Amino acid sequence: MNLSSEHREQRANRLIAGYERLGDVPDELFDVHGNIRPVWQGFLDYLGRFSDDDLTRRLARGDQYLKDAGVFFRQYGEDAAVERDWPLSHIPVLIHEAEWQALGEGLIQRAELLERIVADLYGDNRLIAEGLLPPALIAGNPEWLRPLVGVKPASGHYLSFVAFDIGRGPDGTWWVMGDRTQAPSGAGFALENRVATSRSFADYFAKAQVHRLAGFFRHFRDTLNQMRINKDTRVAILTPGLLNDTYFEHAYIARYLGFSLLEGEDLVVEDGVLKVRTIDGARPLSVVWRRLDASYTDPLELDEHSQLGTPGLLGAVRSGSVSVVNALGTGVLESRALMAFYPEIGLHLLGEPLKLPNIATWWCGPREQRDYVRGNLSRLVVGPALSTRLPFEFGNDTAVGGRFLDGSARDIDSWIEENGPSLVGQEAVSLSTTPAFSGGRLVARPLSLRIFLARTSNGWEVMPGGFARIGRSPDPAAIAMQRGGSVADVWIVSDNPVSVETMLPTDKEPYTRPQPGILPSRAADNLYWLGRYVERAENIMRLLRAYHLRLAESANEDLPIIRNLTLYLHMLKIDPKVPVPEPLLATIRSAINSALRIRDRFSVDGWTALNELSRTAGRFAAYVSPGDDAAHAYGEMLRRITAFSGLVHENMYRFSGWRFLTIGRSLERADAMASVLAWFADATAPEGALDLAVEFGDSVMTHRRRYAVATNRNNAIDLLVLDALNPRSILYQIGEIKTHVSALPRIGEEAQMTPLERFVLKLHTGIAIRMPSDLKATDFLNVRNDLGAISDLLSETYLG
Amino acid sequence: MLYDIKLEIDYEYDMVATVGRHLVHLMPANLPGRQRLISGYLTIEPTPAERADRTDYFGNSVVEATLLAPHQSAIFRVQARVERYDDAPGLDVSAPLALLGDQIAAIRSMDSMSPHHFLYASPRVALNRDMTAYAREVTAGAATTFSAVSAVNSALNRYMEFDPEATTVETSPEDAFERRRGVCQDFTHIMIACLRGIGIPAGYVSGYLRTIPPPGAEKLEGADAMHAWVRAWCGQDMGWIDFDPTNNLIVGSDHIVVGWGRDYGDVAPVRGITRTAGDQQSTQSVDVNPVERL
Repeated sequence: MNLSSEHREQRANRLIAGYERLGDVPDELFDVHGNIRPVWQGFLDYLGRFSDDDLTRRLARGDQYLKDAGVFFRQYGEDAAVERDWPLSHIPVLIHEAEWQALGEGLIQRAELLERIVADLYGDNRLIAEGLLPPALIAGNPEWLRPLVGVKPASGHYLSFVAFDIGRGPDGTWWVMGDRTQAPSGAGFALENRVATSRSFADYFAKAQVHRLAGFFRHFRDTLNQMRINKDTRVAILTPGLLNDTYFEHAYIARYLGFSLLEGEDLVVEDGVLKVRTIDGARPLSVVWRRLDASYTDPLELDEHSQLGTPGLLGAVRSGSVSVVNALGTGVLESRALMAFYPEIGLHLLGEPLKLPNIATWWCGPREQRDYVRGNLSRLVVGPALSTRLPFEFGNDTAVGGRFLDGSARDIDSWIEENGPSLVGQEAVSLSTTPAFSGGRLVARPLSLRIFLARTSNGWEVMPGGFARIGRSPDPAAIAMQRGGSVADVWIVSDNPVSVETMLPTDKEPYTRPQPGILPSRAADNLYWLGRYVERAENIMRLLRAYHLRLAESANEDLPIIRNLTLYLHMLKIDPKVPVPEPLLATIRSAINSALRIRDRFSVDGWTALNELSRTAGRFAAYVSPGDDAAHAYGEMLRRITAFSGLVHENMYRFSGWRFLTIGRSLERADAMASVLAWFADATAPEGALDLAVEFGDSVMTHRRRYAVATNRNNAIDLLVLDALNPRSILYQIGEIKTHVSALPRIGEEAQMTPLERFVLKLHTGIAIRMPSDLKATDFLNVRNDLGAISDLLSETYLG
Repeated sequence: MLYDIKLEIDYEYDMVATVGRHLVHLMPANLPGRQRLISGYLTIEPTPAERADRTDYFGNSVVEATLLAPHQSAIFRVQARVERYDDAPGLDVSAPLALLGDQIAAIRSMDSMSPHHFLYASPRVALNRDMTAYAREVTAGAATTFSAVSAVNSALNRYMEFDPEATTVETSPEDAFERRRGVCQDFTHIMIACLRGIGIPAGYVSGYLRTIPPPGAEKLEGADAMHAWVRAWCGQDMGWIDFDPTNNLIVGSDHIVVGWGRDYGDVAPVRGITRTAGDQQSTQSVDVNPVERL
């Protein structure tokens, strides 16, 4: 096999042929002497085994995973945000565990230092009294939250989950460029990058001795659970919601860790206790991992314009009944000007120098520093002191190398002189490079890393991996995803086999039964509407298929039954002349919107099915023509929507959420049938109308088998309204609603039926006792009114 | 001076409100040497399900009240008797303007009286080029901090017109300054922006104003509702001095202090979040009457 290993070497060489280092910055793949670093050798050999096509296929596997999982990111353009494919750079960043170990020690020291600093800022303020921190950077800092001064966190700690943005400097050592203490994002994306990357290189990854991530998350999950004040209270993740650009990550982490994903409006404070509003009353929460900036969390005491918060949250924090992670107010540490003071504060508080330096920083408040910055403009970036941006993320208010980025000709010298205290100068950053795959070979691109630390029962733990950002071009400023940068997995490679951790508890731990799930009212509401919208879409498709089938058969729009159906569709604001009309697309969009809001409780398969339906409908809208073509298209769309319903009803766990989804579907189905019958079973309806109703009810076969005679009004109504065995009949659907409603929790007087239950039971009985010949159009309209009343009662009882 | 104070603030909701949570800054403060609260009651209708009294960051007493039963209106009533001593400043012993910055920097404290809190933009008061330039212009030639603040106080009183129709509680200082109209809240925010713009620490004071002027004096603007004015730091020796730009005066015994903060948001009389589907209207009535000593 000598030949093949030679061949492999050639391939590997071809991958790195023309790999050009960028200037004299260090590179992750090559050392200063131009030798491949040992940690990369095995992976590079492995990559060399593949032909271009093989490699492309393998990378596509990772992309497919991300697409299926619904990972995307939002790019903000001039007018609107566009959802783009997740920009995974498939080549991971490889770091040897020995180097990682040293890096981790530095970061743990820094996390500990930040904990002490923030405890002082919300406690005795000794750092200011002793002149180690200037009051201006705190008093003028919008993230220093006065209502939290003197409030000790219930858990005893201000920081429990932090991240650091680091880069490798020109001398090859790492330095910290930014501290993320507010609500750091990226850990969930790092997990997704890991899954996608390990799919691409599954065979190699299995043996590669790369440290696994699950243990880190498991320990942090356990920490959060241990923070609870008692076992009857819960942990939740607080998100700003769907519109946030990292919402996907919030949902993913919530599902991964098994915590509820909640929004401010899900929460309420009663007697100083934070609670979640569920379909079963308000339930106490005692730990909140927030992904929401502190100032938005409580409109009563913080940002009064916040729509995302919970009035009274601070009161609950003050009473000590809830731990917020990280504590409200810790965002103050993210201001970059503070870095100027950390080396000295480190000596003072820890008695030792920083093991890992941060980027050199000068606050322009004092004359001396100001003069230094003015004298060294060419190698500095000067910008707002309290900004939390990284040194290479420039705004228009930034001067780089002595020039304003917006081309402004303002005099920098006097700008600094006049605005000193609100400005900071930082060393211009050069980042190390790492290989990215481009045009069939590897190229060097700038790299910055976000590393995560969690407080666990063993103290601070460093996630063995991270979120790497890779520049689109050699310019470090092009590293941001918003500017076309990409992201990559980070592999910490060991010399020894690693333990394969999972999120599952081991046999060694005592078995504890998981807490029964809760269903927040808002989630129940979205599930209910998801059920309704999907069913509504299906109903529209059935009507349109019936229309196009008839058009295909007769090619005559003036046929009475076609004209009658057209009139009916117009009542629904649907123009059948448009093969895939907007109301159908809008209904599908509404379904997706509802599903998005409950991403954390929704299976990946269900999500994929819904997205495929949407894509298919969009595709057909572009080219399908009326008649046979459209009828065929609706056949396919109906099969797709059935795939979704199948997933829901075969695979979804029978918790209350499923009941709301099912009630939504049944209610919509019964309502549509009543509406169709009121129109098509009316005495004035043209010939073929009853057959159309039977077809709409997907009951053609059943009808033939049961009645063996032509469709007449009585047998059609018997089948579509009163037949308790036909899953398309109104009675059957109301029976379903009755079953599910009686299984929902009863709030208040335990033994009593709720008004909702009574109402449904009455409607069910009222229909069951009718005869087909008695039922008139007004009866169907009454059924529709009653269904509307059920919807209102359901909202009032559970969803408000 | 001894005063009896009566206040009523009514909120009417178009649709029934299910939950209302309010932070209330309405009770006259106890300020040794300046003001003494002899008795004071705050009543809220409907009766709050939860009520907590505490002291906020700036030392103001605040009541947090939660209304849980469905309600169509919420009424806040205060009845208080207060003794107010005249503490208008005597000699100008304020810091020379040129040295004020050094005196501020020398203070290494973040307690509630520290001038550092009052030097920067705050949620409702952004620093603004035009107001800073205006302040520079009207303080040209002022040697001391006190004279500079007085100059801004008088200048603004002439520059701005009192007009209850021109602005709302949400109007920004920039807007009101551009329109040259507003009420005490606008006058106060504008003056704060002016002073901070030129490096003088300035805060927002909320309180009451005597309704009926002493015999022979004119009725003061803003006496029909709660009032607001400016507190400026005039250096280490002189400390905090209150100025009323709406009435162009240095505050004495006609002004009763409720609380202070960086801007209106820190001491809003009633700051509330109410769950209701419709709009709300509010009305306010205030009576501040000197009490004859028997």
